[in-house]
Amino acid sequence: MRATCWKGPNKVEVENVPDPTILNDRDAIVRITSTAICGSDLHLLDGYIPAMKRGDILGHEFMGEVVEKGKAVANLDVGDRVVVPFPISCGNCNACQSELYSLCENSNPNARLAEKMFGHPTAGIFGYSHLTGGFAGGQAEYARVPFADVGPIKIENGVPDESVLFLSDIFPTGYMGAEFCEIERGDVIAVWGAGPVGQFAAASAKMLGAERVIVIDRFEYRLRIAREHTGAETLNYEDVDKVPEALKELTGGRGPDACIDAVGMEAHYHGPLYAYDRVKQAARIETDRPFALREAIMSCRNGGIVSVIGAYGGLVDKFPLGAVMNRGLTIKAAQCHVHRYMRPLLERIQNGEIDPSFVITHKLALDDAPKGYEMFKHKEDDCLKVVLKP
Amino acid sequence: MAVHAVRARDKDPLAQFLGWFSIALGTAQVAAPRALCRLVGAKEDGAAPTVMRALGARELAQGAGILIRPRPTMWLWSRVAGDALDLSLLGLTAAKNEGRRGRTAFAIANVLAVTVPDVLESRRLGRKEGRPQAGRLIRKAVTINGAQSMVEEAWGAAEELRRKVAGAGATVTFAAAPGNRGTELAVEFVHEPPAGDLGAAVQKLTGNDLATQLGDDLRRLKQEIEAGEVVRSDGTPSGHLLADHLRQRAAQPLQEATR
Repeated sequence: MRATCWKGPNKVEVENVPDPTILNDRDAIVRITSTAICGSDLHLLDGYIPAMKRGDILGHEFMGEVVEKGKAVANLDVGDRVVVPFPISCGNCNACQSELYSLCENSNPNARLAEKMFGHPTAGIFGYSHLTGGFAGGQAEYARVPFADVGPIKIENGVPDESVLFLSDIFPTGYMGAEFCEIERGDVIAVWGAGPVGQFAAASAKMLGAERVIVIDRFEYRLRIAREHTGAETLNYEDVDKVPEALKELTGGRGPDACIDAVGMEAHYHGPLYAYDRVKQAARIETDRPFALREAIMSCRNGGIVSVIGAYGGLVDKFPLGAVMNRGLTIKAAQCHVHRYMRPLLERIQNGEIDPSFVITHKLALDDAPKGYEMFKHKEDDCLKVVLKP
Repeated sequence: MAVHAVRARDKDPLAQFLGWFSIALGTAQVAAPRALCRLVGAKEDGAAPTVMRALGARELAQGAGILIRPRPTMWLWSRVAGDALDLSLLGLTAAKNEGRRGRTAFAIANVLAVTVPDVLESRRLGRKEGRPQAGRLIRKAVTINGAQSMVEEAWGAAEELRRKVAGAGATVTFAAAPGNRGTELAVEFVHEPPAGDLGAAVQKLTGNDLATQLGDDLRRLKQEIEAGEVVRSDGTPSGHLLADHLRQRAAQPLQEATR
């Protein structure tokens, strides 16, 4: 089959690889009809997530048709149309039963490596380095889905791929980021990053009853999409001296009630601090550049919530812990527990509350994946989200 | 959970560090005596490299002694004596090679810096009495989401693992985890490898380290009980095994032949 493979920092190629087969009884094989490039794939592309191997198949946002299943998979049939959540979860352990699916205790065969890195291991994830199990990803013609009796959600015919594909990751991730904010009437929510996850976080915050949502980015075309599709106000951070100051003035001096970091480890910033962190990251002295997170913390109102859904991989410098402690902030973070949100969000899509396809700007053939990565990374041609068609 | 006493070892991390320091320095002296002569400001021809090599052999012997013995008091004092010898040789070097005194002075400063912990650690171990304690108490525990009877039954069926654990003289305990979290399974044993810390390092490098193996074995057992299977990935096809961690394959489907 054809598959998108990581070939080293800043190098992806579409290659011929063996077809996947059933390795465990609870596996299924899915013929992929739609798959997408995620912002976190860019961190892998750049080589900032450790434990990548040349040849790893990328991709953790995919859907398709079940073509084969292991003998322990009773709830799916060959021919079923499914969306696959990006964390791999057994459904049996304490974490899964507490609906903390991205913390599954049984799905990461490289748990020991992850434990060394993070203190405790996390769940397996498709196409997301060997720290999360070394599972082949879904930017390919076929994928093997472990624990297929737990993760994939069936989709009826008639709903287009584009409307449900993002149930695999970014819509639930954005929604969880908004849910973390414990939104009450009158709340103002600020969202760093108008990428696809930021768009869904903003839209979800509105759905959950936020009075105002302010999205911060530097790309006007992304801010325009946020204004048109999520009902958010926008702030171009290149137009203001200091984002926390600007937000303070926009919120009567209080600061946003909750701040969502939908940027993560490769943030941009204007000013000398950018050079400082960029150099340290390139030299591998720190792994993550946390500008957005620093700003989110400094901006948040006293006693507010900072919701971290942007991806981080390791260590950060100059983390304003004093502000967190003295101002009574709460930080909430996770890789999304996607399984928890798939069904309720599918209902919202079917009710017509939201059509997630609004983030798609480019549809390419699978063989054009390297071009898709280039465009997405460099924001060429007003690129916001690339969907690949195998 | 029962309260358990952790056996304190005689050798603390400082003694271990000094042992590894000796090994590293000795290896450099034996392998590249001329480079080290240059570094300390001595001549690179004549007798100097031979002396350097001999000093390296001494360091290696001291390092091995410190790492292997459970209470290496005399080996540590021998490091102090070695420091004194090194200092007098460096003094001679400084007298004979005036042009490179800066380098020699730097070397003397380094020896003095390591003499302090050498003396402190020798005195500390010198105060220890009774039988030397060499073993480390290792405890590996896992919480399995299932009733205690079920976990005990699965443990009974895991013959290979039980044999391995019995071979190490380990005790196995089962206890209900608080708040309906299942069963806590704990394996406890005293790790006392042949050749002390040196042996432990070799075991770790070759993957024969029981503590690490046990961590993986308990994870597999947990998976079998909870999920009914040990999940395989393309990068680690056989699941949790040390050897596989060291040589991961790319995350691509397996070729027919290797499945």
